[in-house]
Amino acid sequence: MANLSLKHIYKVYPNGTKAVNDFNMDIADKEFIVFVGPSGCGKSTTLRMIAGLEDISAGELSIGDVVVNDMEPKDRDIAMVFQNYALYPHMTVYENMTFGLKMRKIPDVKKDKDGNPILDANGEPVTYMRHYTREEMHERVIAAAQILGIMDYLDKKPKEMSGGQRQRVSLGRAIVREPKVMLLDEPLSNLDAKLRTQMRAEIAKLHARLNTTFIYVTHDQIEAMTMGTRIVVMKDGFVQQIDTPKNLYNYPGNKFVAGFIGTPQMNFFEGTLKRSGEMVDIDFAYSDAKISVPFSYFYKTRPDYLDGNTTVYIGLRAEDISIDKKDVEASQAKIKVKVSHKEELGNETLLYGDINMEGDGYVESSTRVIIKCDEDTEFHVGDVIEAALDLDHIHLFDKETELTIIPRIPEYNYVDCAIADGKLTFAGATVELPSAVQCKNGSGELLIPTDAMSVADDGVLAKVVGFEEISGTKLLCVEIGSRRFYMTVEDKIEADSVRVKLDMKRLTINMDGETVVTPMARAIRFDGKLAKVKEKREVEVTKHTKEGDVTVNKLKKVVDFNLVIAGASYPASDAVALKLISTLGVSRAFTKELIFECTPYDVKLTDEGIEATLKTVLDYGSERFAVYSVGDISVPVYLQDQAGAPASAHLSPDLDKIAIIQKDMDIRLI
Amino acid sequence: MTKERKFRSKKMMERTSNAVVYAILIIISVVWLIPFVLLFIQSLSGDMVGYSIMSVFPKKWTFDNYVRLFKDTMFPTWYGNTFAVSIVVMVVQTVIVLATSYALSRMRFKLRKPLMNLMLILGMFPGFLSMTAVYFILKEMGLTQNLIGLMLVYTASSAMGYYICKGFFDTVPKSLDEAARIDGANRATVFFKIILPLAKPIIIYTILMAFTAPWGEYMFSSFLMLGDPSKFTVAVGMKEWIGREMVNQYFGVFCAAAVVVSIPIVLLFMFLQRYYVEGVTGGSVKG
Repeated sequence: MANLSLKHIYKVYPNGTKAVNDFNMDIADKEFIVFVGPSGCGKSTTLRMIAGLEDISAGELSIGDVVVNDMEPKDRDIAMVFQNYALYPHMTVYENMTFGLKMRKIPDVKKDKDGNPILDANGEPVTYMRHYTREEMHERVIAAAQILGIMDYLDKKPKEMSGGQRQRVSLGRAIVREPKVMLLDEPLSNLDAKLRTQMRAEIAKLHARLNTTFIYVTHDQIEAMTMGTRIVVMKDGFVQQIDTPKNLYNYPGNKFVAGFIGTPQMNFFEGTLKRSGEMVDIDFAYSDAKISVPFSYFYKTRPDYLDGNTTVYIGLRAEDISIDKKDVEASQAKIKVKVSHKEELGNETLLYGDINMEGDGYVESSTRVIIKCDEDTEFHVGDVIEAALDLDHIHLFDKETELTIIPRIPEYNYVDCAIADGKLTFAGATVELPSAVQCKNGSGELLIPTDAMSVADDGVLAKVVGFEEISGTKLLCVEIGSRRFYMTVEDKIEADSVRVKLDMKRLTINMDGETVVTPMARAIRFDGKLAKVKEKREVEVTKHTKEGDVTVNKLKKVVDFNLVIAGASYPASDAVALKLISTLGVSRAFTKELIFECTPYDVKLTDEGIEATLKTVLDYGSERFAVYSVGDISVPVYLQDQAGAPASAHLSPDLDKIAIIQKDMDIRLI
Repeated sequence: MTKERKFRSKKMMERTSNAVVYAILIIISVVWLIPFVLLFIQSLSGDMVGYSIMSVFPKKWTFDNYVRLFKDTMFPTWYGNTFAVSIVVMVVQTVIVLATSYALSRMRFKLRKPLMNLMLILGMFPGFLSMTAVYFILKEMGLTQNLIGLMLVYTASSAMGYYICKGFFDTVPKSLDEAARIDGANRATVFFKIILPLAKPIIIYTILMAFTAPWGEYMFSSFLMLGDPSKFTVAVGMKEWIGREMVNQYFGVFCAAAVVVSIPIVLLFMFLQRYYVEGVTGGSVKG
């Protein structure tokens, strides 16, 4: 019955360990969110922070639009189910379920003897807080008990019941209160396999019935995949990916997610990709396997990985490799596999092999391969058979960062370009470069961020070839010349062709391995800190006297908080100062170095502020920016209309839009 | 055949070892019981023995000692004093110990560990090291020769006895507290409604400890009550009786008093024995 929002949530323990790092998520009403990850990944900590059992080190948590960071768990209107059930052992099931109701008060209208509401002077009914009546509690307990099928145990004590029954009671205790959010912390881990499957279905049913937001923590990926509407995969305190089960399976964002979701685990090979014309050669490492496949499979792949030198992880799921004769004959992507053993699971058979003819197929390595096949497939250990790879489902990951290199929303469009006399030619189209983009003549590679292309009347003509909506982002695929480009758009475009304009300040151009055009910085980072100023001055003080409150001016010692940004002081609002002090601690708030981050649009030229000297003015045609240097950093400032840029100026960031980051721990505070 | 013999011999071995163990246990319990039985017999004896070797079976059986104890001595006053002090100390100390232990077990605050260690180490020093200082402090407060002063001394350091109790609370799953807090209870409600009902064994244990310690304490009370027999506790008063000059006259009375003094303790232990064992093991083994 409520939406949740987690903004830059951190959990830092006193010894400096970061259990949760920059957790950002918006949870809609009635969603079933699953936090999944190996133990120690911070999923339970996050849940406990939502519950209020753990302090939030930094960030903002709101439940139903109310910031609840400093609220007691009991005031957050949540319910929680624990792994060990946490039933009160000395109470019966009935008492366990009523305990939460007894603790709570509900508003009610005061009534006189005849049952008519008592009205106050304004004619409004008088309300007061009262406890639940015995009948109300009974009604609720019975209703919950019926849903969960625990009517027969209401008089029993927890220890007289089995694990499954206890967990049911614990669910019952949670639902009688009709909370806004249900939190479940590995509720099924203590149950045996059969009961777990059964309870899984019941919890899913309960969610459908209650219409409440559920947040469920588990380390079991099957539970996550079967129950969640969206899944948060976490590792080492970092969110790896937030997506629907299907998208996690089909479009894992990194190697960890790819390996964690799905059984048997995805096969990971190492290899290099080399594009030659319309074909791509895949060369598997530690193996003789080499295949050549059409480039069409790799449209979204970052082109810098198709150079034949960069080693990447090639991921293919067991079901995306086939040894069926028909598939193999039809396939262009065939590799030889030496069979080592098989696992028969009844409904399917897993064939283990190795693409390295010396490998044994038992140890997890970058040549081991697991293939799902029919049970009547005949083969012998040591046989070398051919397997067909389904490249529609290929996953590629960077070897160092392990991030996917076929993102669903590509970050950049890469295209060859030529520059001649201030004109940029790419994919057959020519555009005028603004004066701000200074570049020598020559040919090179152009990087256009996906969100730096927009539809405009005076743009380059492009043919629309596809449209996708990926978790809220609308992605348009267009063809300019014969080259595909991906761009984000605000609305779905029905037309066959559009005119596309480039955001010139965001382009990168590389020539001969050298970056000749760099995009303008999108974020400006100033160093600074919080300062405390004690001052004696006259302030207005309200005095309580018999005649009423009187405001008097009085000389008083006042403490002001200032944000010192790159040497200039700005008064900090009470909210900001309070937040910094409460998250950093009183002693550290004034000593810790902070970083203030904002965009070029949020910095203004003012009479007072950060001292800066003008370096240059960048004219991008539609927009102009003045680049100032402040100390070692250069700060682009957006110039409105025809505003001039004085040679030495004072800059002021917009304090409402500024982000504050603690420097040494890299924690976003505001 | 051979197998069966082996089996039998194992059973025999078990029996023999059991017999040996029981024999040793019986001997130990007899040795433990002898003083009390002798004491009890002497309390019923009419012989005047004093420090001389007493006979196991007195020549004359009598209840005179008990009659004298209650009629001719100040014992009833002392008994009352001791009882009052012990009861008050028992209540206050139990509350303090339980609350401290719960706080140390559940709450995480700065210097928690150092505080616990400090209390543990301080508790290892014998209390009478501070006796002189305590005496002068109480004298300044006008609390010498005063039962309230004695109660203060006994309860002052009770929080230091948190150790076993905290061990017990540590075994109660934290998720119970958390569940209750989410259910809408505050810390106090959690403590009284959820944790205390589960902590019966350790409460009993704490009560027993808190009662028996002042019941038999001699050192502090003899020091504080010096010179005012009407404020004596049983231990102090009875000690007078077995001084060199009084022992011949009062030994029988002393024995009778000792029996009377042991009654409440025996009763307490008899009724609460079951919990006591649970409390000690629950706190120390699992914690």
